[in-house]
Amino acid sequence: MYIDDEANNLMSFKASFRFDYNIFIANNTEEALNQLEQNPDINVILSDQKMPDKNGVEFLEEIRLKYPNAVRILITGYTDVESVIDAINRGHIFRYIKKPWSDVDVKSAVEEAYKFYMATSMLAIKNEELQKAYTELDKFAYSATHDMRGPILSVLGVIGIAKQIDDMGEVREMLGMMEAAMVKLDNYIQNIHDYYNLRRGEVKITEVNFEEIIKDMRDIFEMTSKIDKTGFVTSLKQAETFRSDEVSLKIILNNLLSNAFKYQNRSRDDKKVALDIEVTKGMATITVSDNGIGIPENSIELIFNMFYRATSQELGSGFGLYNVKDALGKLGGKIEVSSKENEGTTFKVSIPSK
Amino acid sequence: MIKDKLNFIVVDDSKLDCFIAEKIIQNTGKCNSVKTFQQASEAINYIGGLPEQTHETILFVDIQMPVMNGFEFVEAFEALPAEKKNGISIYMLSSSINENDIARVKGYSSIRQFINKPLTANSIAVILENF
Repeated sequence: MYIDDEANNLMSFKASFRFDYNIFIANNTEEALNQLEQNPDINVILSDQKMPDKNGVEFLEEIRLKYPNAVRILITGYTDVESVIDAINRGHIFRYIKKPWSDVDVKSAVEEAYKFYMATSMLAIKNEELQKAYTELDKFAYSATHDMRGPILSVLGVIGIAKQIDDMGEVREMLGMMEAAMVKLDNYIQNIHDYYNLRRGEVKITEVNFEEIIKDMRDIFEMTSKIDKTGFVTSLKQAETFRSDEVSLKIILNNLLSNAFKYQNRSRDDKKVALDIEVTKGMATITVSDNGIGIPENSIELIFNMFYRATSQELGSGFGLYNVKDALGKLGGKIEVSSKENEGTTFKVSIPSK
Repeated sequence: MIKDKLNFIVVDDSKLDCFIAEKIIQNTGKCNSVKTFQQASEAINYIGGLPEQTHETILFVDIQMPVMNGFEFVEAFEALPAEKKNGISIYMLSSSINENDIARVKGYSSIRQFINKPLTANSIAVILENF
């Protein structure tokens, strides 16, 4: 944006730079403020120093508070040292252009300013990402001590007790418990592995054969289904090809299904889990439903948070649905959940073909 | 109150850790009764419904639990009427070596001490010296 009380300057500025940049012009500071309000992401602001209502330094000083990211350039006919110092100190200007300006001067100043703006914004974005990574790392370290040390300490505790016991029956019972603790730890480590695959791994888009994927899932969950006497039905409607990242898709399905099998109502005779996949109009809709314990209403919002667990039933790590959401973010998909306590839960995932 | 035997309550979402605590407590020879809870809210309901006790109670509670964590449990406990809290000493158990948690324990007047997991015959013997 260029602010100058001389209309000729504004016109020639616009004429010179409209092909390279999106140009806003303002005849006075009030108009400039309006323009800024409507376009708060203006990157570079050039202001004339000598204007009737307010001088350029004052104006730049004023807008710096509200629009700190915009890079400020002062254009002036004065060349006394005082006003230069003033401009730098009060307006925090990036460049100082002498009037009458030449296209070349302004062009290089604007280019530099734009580069500076991009670098600063990139830095802000990177900082934010870094902050997020730090927070996650903190959470991670906290949880890792609990979720990884927990089962180890439990097993150590049981070993301590088992050493004192002669009754083999009781020792066997303890072995079973140790096994469960180790399965939990292993599951947790698998989840971490998924997490890093999703975080660092590249998305590899290939044609997806859902028939194969369903077969894989059947292989993984067949045992669980038999042991826990939980019915497992699958269906597939696919009339067109679908392209996506298979690793991410499997992580999503694996987690949703493993939850569906895990959070069952133990006393129910008709326990069931259903997986339905439909591919139409470039979208895959995956539905995983169960008639298990359901999710309490006040927890639904929180279930995708890292390490959140809504129940003490079963050996959840609080990692699974977080990974699901992460994977969906990569595939540009979304997830909906509907659940009623003691009636069951349905997750509906929609993923666009790439 | 009868001093030679104690009641114990264990609150831990891990079934295995409840089992360990129960075994170790039974082996102390000072156990009048031991109750374990995998859900903190159930333990609160239990304590709230207890008649007046003849024995002192030692309560172990884990910090990290889903739904209601150890600190939330202690807050709910502190909100109980005085006669229900009488004679109950709370010990906080955790596998985390987290400075924040240790500092936070100090902020609750009803928590007697912070103990690292796993609970062992030795650590429980040290606690029992106070009773």
